[in-house]
Amino acid sequence: MAPFELICPAGTPAALRAAVDAGADAVYAGFRDETNARNFPGLNFSREEMAEGIRYARARGRMLFVAINTYPAAGRVEPWRRAVDDAARLGADAVILADLGLLDYAARTHPGLRLHLSVQASASNAEAVRFYREAFGVRRVVLPRVLTVADIRGLVAGTDVETEVFVFGGMCPMAEGRCTLSSYATGRSPNRQGVCSPAEHVRYEERGEDLVSRLGGFTINRFAAGEPAGYPTLCKGRFAAAGKASYLFEEPTSLNALPLLPALHEAGVKALKIEGRQRGKAYVAAVVSAYRRAIDGFARTGRVDDPGLDAGLDGAVEGGRDTAGAYRRSWR
Amino acid sequence: MPPIPPELAVRRIEAAAAGVAVALAGRTAPALSGRVLDLVVGRVARCHPRAFAALAELPPATLRIEPADRPAAFLLDVGPAVRLRVAGPDDPPPDAAVRGPLADLMDLLEGRIDGDALFFRRTLRIEGDTALVLAVRNAFDGEDMDVVADLAGAFGPLARAVPPARRAAGRALVALEEVRAALLRPLADRVAAVERRLAAFDREGR
Repeated sequence: MAPFELICPAGTPAALRAAVDAGADAVYAGFRDETNARNFPGLNFSREEMAEGIRYARARGRMLFVAINTYPAAGRVEPWRRAVDDAARLGADAVILADLGLLDYAARTHPGLRLHLSVQASASNAEAVRFYREAFGVRRVVLPRVLTVADIRGLVAGTDVETEVFVFGGMCPMAEGRCTLSSYATGRSPNRQGVCSPAEHVRYEERGEDLVSRLGGFTINRFAAGEPAGYPTLCKGRFAAAGKASYLFEEPTSLNALPLLPALHEAGVKALKIEGRQRGKAYVAAVVSAYRRAIDGFARTGRVDDPGLDAGLDGAVEGGRDTAGAYRRSWR
Repeated sequence: MPPIPPELAVRRIEAAAAGVAVALAGRTAPALSGRVLDLVVGRVARCHPRAFAALAELPPATLRIEPADRPAAFLLDVGPAVRLRVAGPDDPPPDAAVRGPLADLMDLLEGRIDGDALFFRRTLRIEGDTALVLAVRNAFDGEDMDVVADLAGAFGPLARAVPPARRAAGRALVALEEVRAALLRPLADRVAAVERRLAAFDREGR
């Protein structure tokens, strides 16, 4: 039996096929609207494309999870309920939800539908996870990227809900689902409209050899000539404080927990998740392949020591570097 | 140096051929280059209706696509009338622009490389309306696009010849590379020997 399920992102039908072909056990995807947390221009699936995606995955023995993980607007819950109904009708293997009301709706309306708790719910202790299990029958929780491996071990021991953790991709250092940094700068919310740093508020400017990134009119970073760039998110902005410009929250960097696979397995983690529905299919193919090889190698040998693995990941990381993030929390 | 994979060798040839085509487009009368580009885009659009439907749904806007290593640039009009044309000196400023090496732009078009990774490395430069750039990138990345095969498809049986021709060309290029390395090896050994002797003279001189 495989030590982990590998859960992979898809923002387009081609990325979905790339993920399945590269060895994903399950792919997660969203509808083309504000009901999911990657509501970017030209991304995501129509109902027909989602149906095709489910058929493609199912024909190869894989699963498809539908992310409906933003919070419904007050007085306008219909698009979110319709997304849950359509995911159930199309035969999704699970829906990934965050909102309490939507979880209640899904549990009552589609009792056979498997419910996963999105990272957007920010459930970070066993008591919270048990509540979602008892109230709505949630079967799996996607854990926030702020827990250490020891925290995860304790949480797994305190609940019978499956755990899924991010192992590669964008490093969100905030309380996910509750972060309003981007909302202050742009007026649009990652939690309600599904857009952190919406593209229409992002501008890049070349100033000599420097690259300046701006969000909602605020300059949030200036990269010198040759310096690797990062996403235009405020949490990875470089700001002047006490006369010195530095990264106050987090540096431009990507999560990569490859060396921690044995520790995560020992902690009882069920599934490993790769971030990046906004990334191209070349990223999906490269990262999924590397993690597939790592998991299969770990299943055979109990170790993660294939020297070729990092080669497939080096070009994919933000800011040209990666980190084990909070899992090690070496700054403590 | 490790040998290059055959498919990469073929890809370099195709990129070089595209470079010649881009340079020619920049020197050709706009009416002629416009007709050729209309034919090319029409063919690719027939092969990828989903991507072109997505471009047609966008608000009218113009994206400048600028191969940094070639003397010509293109303008992609999106909206109800999708069109690709050669950029001229009198065109109004575009809504957005992407700039990068032609080979990378081609890889990006066909989804062989991740646009974010190119941006992180500062290989790809973006200016103007970022939402427009993302929408166009995602429309093409959502396809399994192969422009050479798409264009060859316009000539019927030629489409079937593309995969075996690429395999044969790849094998030939790798064989050529091996011959070249074999011929150069004695020369490289001689140069190394001369360098060793010079270093010895240098030590004695001190």
